[in-house]
Parts: sequence; C-alpha cells; structure tokens
Amino acid sequence: MKKYFANIWGTITTLKTGMGITWRHMMNIKKDNVTLQYPEERWPRPERDIGFEHENYNVIRSRLHVDIDDCIGCLKCERACPVDCIKIDTIKAPTRGEDIPNIGHTGVTENGTNKALVVSRFTIDMSECCYCNLCVYPCPEECIYMVVPIVPSIPLIMNFPNLTVKI
Amino acid sequence: MTVDTLMNWFAKLGDFPELAFILAVLICAVPVFLFIAVYALVAIYGELKISSFMQDKVGPMGQGVGLHAGKWGLLQPVADALKLILKEDIIPTSADKKLFILAPFIVFIGAFIAFAALPFNQNIIIADMNIGIFYILAVSSLGVIGLIMAGWSSNNKWSLYGAMRSAAQIVSYEIPAALSIIVVIMLTGTLSMQGIIQHQSGFVWGILPNWIIFQNPFTFLAFFIFFISGVAECNRTPFDIPEAESELVAGAFTEYSGMRYAFFFLSEYANMFIVSGIAVTAFLGGWQSPIPGILNSPAWGLWWFMSKAMFLIFVMIWFRWTFPRLRVDQLMNVCWKGFTPIAMVNIFGVGIWHLMLG
Repeated sequence: MKKYFANIWGTITTLKTGMGITWRHMMNIKKDNVTLQYPEERWPRPERDIGFEHENYNVIRSRLHVDIDDCIGCLKCERACPVDCIKIDTIKAPTRGEDIPNIGHTGVTENGTNKALVVSRFTIDMSECCYCNLCVYPCPEECIYMVVPIVPSIPLIMNFPNLTVKI
Repeated sequence: MTVDTLMNWFAKLGDFPELAFILAVLICAVPVFLFIAVYALVAIYGELKISSFMQDKVGPMGQGVGLHAGKWGLLQPVADALKLILKEDIIPTSADKKLFILAPFIVFIGAFIAFAALPFNQNIIIADMNIGIFYILAVSSLGVIGLIMAGWSSNNKWSLYGAMRSAAQIVSYEIPAALSIIVVIMLTGTLSMQGIIQHQSGFVWGILPNWIIFQNPFTFLAFFIFFISGVAECNRTPFDIPEAESELVAGAFTEYSGMRYAFFFLSEYANMFIVSGIAVTAFLGGWQSPIPGILNSPAWGLWWFMSKAMFLIFVMIWFRWTFPRLRVDQLMNVCWKGFTPIAMVNIFGVGIWHLMLG
C-alpha cells in the first residue's frame, strides 16, 4: 500500500519535471533555436589566419599544405571535403615505456592542444582536389591551408605523415 | 440559438413541422461543421508550432521569394488540408468496402453530434437538454465502433491491432471519466450543461471563483482524473497506442488516405475540443468569468469558454510533446489500478464532504 502511494507520488513529480523541461524550452525558443532559415540566414564565414602573410590570401590557391606536427586527427577537414580527396587514418597513442608514465598524449600542438592520436596517414589526392578551400575553415588547429607552391612540381598524391621508429 | 427557438420561429411562418425540424437541424449543423474545420486548422497550426518550440525548432516558416507557407508558416495547415483533399482515395482490393467507406464518417459523427450539447456561452447552445452531459458521454463513445470498423475492414494486421487496442483503451478510460463526472452531478444535482455552469456562478470570499474544481479537494482530484482519462479517450500521446506510429504504422488508419484520413484527423481534433469543453463546463465554470463582477456578457462568455478550452487543448499538446508512449500493460495499470480506485474514493469523499460541510 505504501508502495502504491509512493508510485503515484513519483509519477506526479516526474511528470511535473518533464513538463517543466518542455515549458522552459518553449519559452526560451528565441535563445535556444537551432534551425537556420537557410537562404536568409547563414553561418558566418570565419576569418582565419592561414599561417603566413599574403596579400592575395584566398585568391591564390595553388596547393594544400598540412603542418602534420599540429594535426590532431580530428577528421574535420576530411568531412568538409566535397570531393573526398582527403584521407586520414589515425591510431591511438602508443603506450609509453616506463620512462614517461601516464603522459596520455603524444605531443603538444602550437595551439597547446595535447595530441591523443597519431596520424598514420594523411593523403591529399591533388588530382581530385577542387581548390575550394572548405577544409581550411573547420580545422581547430589551423594546420591545413593553401600555399603558393615552393617547388615547381608536386606529387599527385601527397602524403604528409613521416612516421619513423626510433630505436 | 437552439433547435427549439428555430422551430418556434418556423412555426410562425406556416404549418410544416417535419420540414421545419430538418431545416432547423441543418441551420445548426452547418456552423458546427465550419467551426470544427476552422478550429482544426488552428489546432494543427498550434500543434506544429508548439511542438517545434518544445524541441528548439521554429516549425513551419516562410521567408523570401517563391512557394512557401506564408509569414510564420500561417498557411501550413491550409496546405496540409489541400494536400489531403487532393490526394487519391485508395480502397484496398481486399478491404471490406462498405465498412471501409462508412468507418471515417461514423468516427466523425461520434465527435460531431456531441457538439450539440456544448454551451459556448449563455445563449449559444444547440440543444440545452436536461441530460446534456450524459448525452455527450454517450455519443462520444460512438467513435469506438467506427474505429473497430476501420480496423476490421482494412484487412491489415496493423489496423486490427490498432483498433483492438483503441477499443480496450477507450472502454477502460470511460469508467474513471464517468466516475469523475458523477462527482460533478452529485454537487450540482443536474445533468443539463447550462445548469451545471449556473451552479458554479459566484465567488468564494469574493475572489476565488466558485468553480467545482475549487469546491473541495476531491473535486480538484476529479478534474485531473477526468482530464487525463479524456486525453486517453482522444487517443492522444502518451496514450496513443492505437496509432503508435513506431509500432503500428498508423494503427486503424493505416490503409486510409486522402479525405477519409482527413476525417479521422478532424474527429481526433474535434474529440479534443469536446473533452476540453466537458472539462471546462463541469469543472472550470464554463463561460463564467474568473474575475469577480465584470466581463460576464454573452460575448465575453464565448471568449472565456474558448480560451479555457484552448488552454486545455494546449495542455494536451504539451503532454504529447513531453511524455513517452505508455505500454499496453502500463496503460491498463494506470486506468484500473490508479484512476478507477481514486475516482471511486472521490465519490465517497465528495459525498461525505458535502454532507458534513456543504
């Protein structure tokens, strides 16, 4: 009998909590709204530092470059790419020996992020790349950007990681 | 505006009682049908918008050039209605054709004729019968027959499951709803809708409306039991197992399309209004103003009745977008182990309270 009334009381209180949540969401719709009315509203295009000074930034797009030491393997550029020319494989950070215990990362980027993954493969197929620059914006570490070619010819499939094993 | 007044008026013109009766009924029925159609559009728009707001979306919106749903999506329900009208009317080959065609209309009639006894204000009631509330409870159960007909005649497993579930649910929830109404009838001593409302006139201590919901704690409880049972009778979420879209496609309505489906839709919304209307009449003072002494003219009476009913409909929509669907056994638990015993205790409680303190 006690359980019966406890059940009823529990029902009433939990229903009240649930209705409170939906009520708050309905009242805060102006603030919490997640829908973008696309043709009229758009996400702002970010102004990004591309790593070097160039007065014709965004005009000259000759090839992509990746600072592979800063790459944390978040795959955001791979997802942003409209033609899927970026391919990234990552592996989990290998366990360290007894020298460096509990360090939990494989290095620090220039922005101060701890790298939890090792990027084993980061290839850009330049035969597919359409030079749209879309992969540049989402990068949280600002490590992928367009550069003016330094050498006259570049390989078609550029591979950035340079994994070596130190013995 | 009642059938009787119209018939008296016709009697002055000449001696044609049968024709006068048919004319009077038609004159009363057409505005009710128009009201249901317009109200359903408003309710659908409200449902779309409120559900979106509760999920942090904006709902139907129209912006810019080209075909769109108007400012703030105001034309969305009109577009929905047009779509339903224009759609092909499909009758499955193996369906029981007569029943299949008949079912949506029976469901709709069950909701439609209940409007005859709803008091919109002091004057607007089609027939102020001395058995008004009993009449509404009786005819609004007619929809179950239509639902079972729809489920059976569709010749589809989902439809049949939905229909059986809906029959079980509606028949079960009639009991706590009716028991809660008995509480009201005990206090007012009348079954007439206007009589029940007139009993609730006046104010306690000059400020608290003398509505039945505020008269004693048992009636307060009875209001919630009636309202939630009413939600269950409308087959609204969280009691929407008859048309559980994630389990039973669309329940009894699976095989229906176009206008026939629209009739089911219309009757669902009409049922919501009837349940709200009964709850407002029986517990919330009907067209009585909640503010002492003022705003009690017939026009304001219509406003108060509509705003109270629309608030209850908003609460139903709020329920729908908050609560998950109940399982069949949970549903029966709530009804037979929760509502029915409490409603019975309520009757004793109100009786004793009325004898001791009333």
